[in-house]
Amino acid sequence: MDLLTAIEASPLATFLRESTSVWAYPTVLMLHTVGLALLVGLNAAFDLRLLGVGRGVPLDALETWFPVMWIGFWLNLVTGVLLFATDPIRLGTTTIFFSKLAIVVAGVILIPLLRRAVYGRVAGQAPAIPPLAKVYALLSLVLWTAAIVTGRFMAYVSEIA
Amino acid sequence: MEQLKAWLDALLASVSWDESLIAFLHGSALGQWVVSGQWVWPIAETLHFIGLALLIGVIAPLDARLIGFMPRVPIAALHRMVPFAIGGFVLCLATGILFFVGTPEQYIPNESFWLKALFLAIAGANMLAFELTQRSRAEALAPGIPTPRAFKVIGSLSLVSWFMVLYWGRMLPFAVGASF
Repeated sequence: MDLLTAIEASPLATFLRESTSVWAYPTVLMLHTVGLALLVGLNAAFDLRLLGVGRGVPLDALETWFPVMWIGFWLNLVTGVLLFATDPIRLGTTTIFFSKLAIVVAGVILIPLLRRAVYGRVAGQAPAIPPLAKVYALLSLVLWTAAIVTGRFMAYVSEIA
Repeated sequence: MEQLKAWLDALLASVSWDESLIAFLHGSALGQWVVSGQWVWPIAETLHFIGLALLIGVIAPLDARLIGFMPRVPIAALHRMVPFAIGGFVLCLATGILFFVGTPEQYIPNESFWLKALFLAIAGANMLAFELTQRSRAEALAPGIPTPRAFKVIGSLSLVSWFMVLYWGRMLPFAVGASF
């Protein structure tokens, strides 16, 4: 609890929380949403492709999406840490925050697994979709949807609980 | 952008119907329902964000392809995923209407809302322009061929305008007087 108090009182957290500048809290929150759109958006489109949507899209061309997903991830890790720092005592003591953290960790672990399941084969061969990749895709869709649900509900949990 | 904001402020100040519209929406059964149930707003927000991810996740790769990235992917194939973007958009529109009807006073005087609506209109018009003038050309374009300039313009405008929709949407709560 001391750690959470220290984080809440830190100059950076205080600045982000109390500054009226649009470049403080609003911009960090906006960038977190941009990262969400990149990470979850591309992930969802990729998962849907594996699950049978848009079969005409050649899978080997979509491997370029993974670096963009990672950009979204790093953006959201940095902005997520900053957002947590503005309100650590409330967030650090709620189940929903740790639920989101666990869901995101699981989702992130799935990213390289998904990539390897689809592309980890002899180069130059047109990849067929292995059943394991479809399982990962479905799990990934469920996890990232859950990450959005828990993430959004974090904002309301003190009002509801 | 500053000039545009000043112009919008002046326009909003001159609008006199907003009070009666706010009162009307507050009195409506739907408006009452949105603000009375404690779960309605959080659930609608969650659906709004899921819709956002679907919309951007499908549209951004298509835009990137129109600009010239991923040249081996047939545009027609990416275009077949557009129904998911439309589904995401409908989810956002439906939940967005709930927010507006529930707390119109937070949107009508809020310039972020009008800027969001403006870029939404630009994104929509741009999409319509693509469907009406470029669609058949896009379907016929063989993979690996550089995309024509019209595609690059439409793809870039789409990316920028959807980003601005997201940007001004995220800025909504930070307007003076807003409390959501």
